[in-house]
Amino acid sequence: MANGLRGLPDSFLRVLVVFLVLIVAVIVIGGALPTEFKDHSRHVQATIAREAALPIRFAGSTECGTCHDEARLKQIGYHRNLSCETCHGAAKAHTENPVEVKPAAPRKRESCATCHHFDPSRPTGFAQINPVMHFPRQACISCHDPHQAQPPSVPEECSACHAEIARTKAVSPHALLECTECHTVPAEHKVAPRITRASIPTERGFCGKCHDKDTATLQPPKIDINTHGEKYLCWQCHYPHMPEVR
Amino acid sequence: MNHPWNDLLRQVQGYIYPNEIEIHWGMLVVVYPYLTGLVAGAFILASLVEVFNVREVHAVYRLSLLTALAFLLIAPLPLLLHLGRPERSYEIFLTPNLSSAMAMFGFIYAWYLMVVLLLEIWFTYRKDLITWARAERFPMRWVHRALALFSNDLSERALRFDRKAVKVITVIGIPSAFLLHGYVGFIFGSIKANPWWSSVLIPIVFLFSAIVSGIALVLLLYMLITPRRGEKIDMACLDKIASFLFYAVLVDFSLELLDFIHRLYESEESIKILSDLVMNKLFISLVVIQVLLGMIVPLGVMVSIKLFHFNEELRKLLYFLSAILIQVGIFATRWNVVVGGQMFSKSFRGLTTYKMEMTGVEGLFVSLALLIAPFVVLAFLLWILPPWEKKLAVVFSSGSQAVEPRGDIPA
Repeated sequence: MANGLRGLPDSFLRVLVVFLVLIVAVIVIGGALPTEFKDHSRHVQATIAREAALPIRFAGSTECGTCHDEARLKQIGYHRNLSCETCHGAAKAHTENPVEVKPAAPRKRESCATCHHFDPSRPTGFAQINPVMHFPRQACISCHDPHQAQPPSVPEECSACHAEIARTKAVSPHALLECTECHTVPAEHKVAPRITRASIPTERGFCGKCHDKDTATLQPPKIDINTHGEKYLCWQCHYPHMPEVR
Repeated sequence: MNHPWNDLLRQVQGYIYPNEIEIHWGMLVVVYPYLTGLVAGAFILASLVEVFNVREVHAVYRLSLLTALAFLLIAPLPLLLHLGRPERSYEIFLTPNLSSAMAMFGFIYAWYLMVVLLLEIWFTYRKDLITWARAERFPMRWVHRALALFSNDLSERALRFDRKAVKVITVIGIPSAFLLHGYVGFIFGSIKANPWWSSVLIPIVFLFSAIVSGIALVLLLYMLITPRRGEKIDMACLDKIASFLFYAVLVDFSLELLDFIHRLYESEESIKILSDLVMNKLFISLVVIQVLLGMIVPLGVMVSIKLFHFNEELRKLLYFLSAILIQVGIFATRWNVVVGGQMFSKSFRGLTTYKMEMTGVEGLFVSLALLIAPFVVLAFLLWILPPWEKKLAVVFSSGSQAVEPRGDIPA
């Protein structure tokens, strides 16, 4: 070994020594560090202490329910998944001093529009309005109680909730068909739409009433219902609300 | 209802998930790949001299190495500041996690700093350190002696070994520089949930933009420092650097164009939101600054320099302006990748916005300080390890006579 190193220039050996010292130092320091230094629980405790020292600003919905009936009422309405403090703001101070500190009560139309103004990317069925067209001078809460968020009257048209479908269907070949032609809509669907659902066609023969080659109607495109895509329901390939339904 | 998010919420377009309102990788994470890119780029320029024997750029060889070192020393700072708890960073080395790309960065960084840059600089400067130390007085004499690791061997054999070592390290250094910045692109390119980042081309695009920014930075530094030292800019060197810069920008531009066309042709389900992103949120920073001002204008200027034989003064001015535009353009590239990639919802149905802080750790002022810091480090390095050869010759001729060479330490 010594003979092998003797042939190398002095500069190389000096660098080698520095590197060896560094590598050994890293290993020794790594091994010699007291276990407390490597103990993550200290960091965790420090983080918990730091977070615990932060002032508590939110009280939580359960706390609201101890005094306010509305909080319990809200549990069965559409807003059941919203915390009270989403609209009323942080209310811990109010729970500590209910008389002097009052949480915010949003009355402006903009507050409701944060979620309910029309936006095509919101899911279908989500209550949406155009704030300019929809009773522009009235406060939302004069008709709608946010703690029992329901429409003031049962909607008459399907489009009240299914606006996006209604718009696409209006320019599709099925524009002249009523929604109820294909969907059976129980009366309860208008009151509890997510509990009682409207039906969708479950048999191929249903579309075949107009589209089978043996039917007498003239207009719609005809196919042989027995051989054309026999494994599938028709709407699995042809979405009937779309303009390009074919 | 005066929540701080209300300001942000008003600027949200379409539908986004609640955890996407606030952008978490902010200005500091933009600064980080920008600084790392400059390191890789400056090193590639230095390697042109050693490996590819491009004689003309010899004047900036040492400047490029020191620039790379200065920026490399500052490069991890944005990450440490962003993550907090810098004292824990040591654990990356003690408990290596081989399956985490981010954790492996510690090793890539250590390799690049210790094995490539410091070693190459040491072998490059060893002879000068010894000769300077012999001619100097305390304390610089001891600084230079210590930096030379108290080596004293100026024999022909030792100097030959230095030259050989530099060449070998540079050859190792090129793939290492590619690894260093390719890695930064890899981090983004391998996030498969994000269509703006997830692309195998990203590491390569990052690499070439790094080379572009590094070369442009050394060109700017050379043009600024040389007149201040009362010397004339070597036009052959400047033309050659600018020529390499031109080809690097051209390749970078082609790669980004390829990426763009590929995305359009593939037209995955994300294409609509990405085009919304580009046309709305990133229009100024991507279309105007990155592509138009940062690439097309400098390319046009450099093509016209090649076509029409402008005089020296005009060439200098045009090179200078192009290099500044390129720097701004590459910074915009980093911005568009880092911030742009967080501006659209994973639902592909909405866009959020980025509000930059002014003060605070993630703020603008800290980022500016981090961008200035490498220049301070560079000034210090230039003072302690001056890269100018003429000055060396003077020191050498006056000093070598005065001090007797000392004996070698026994090997």
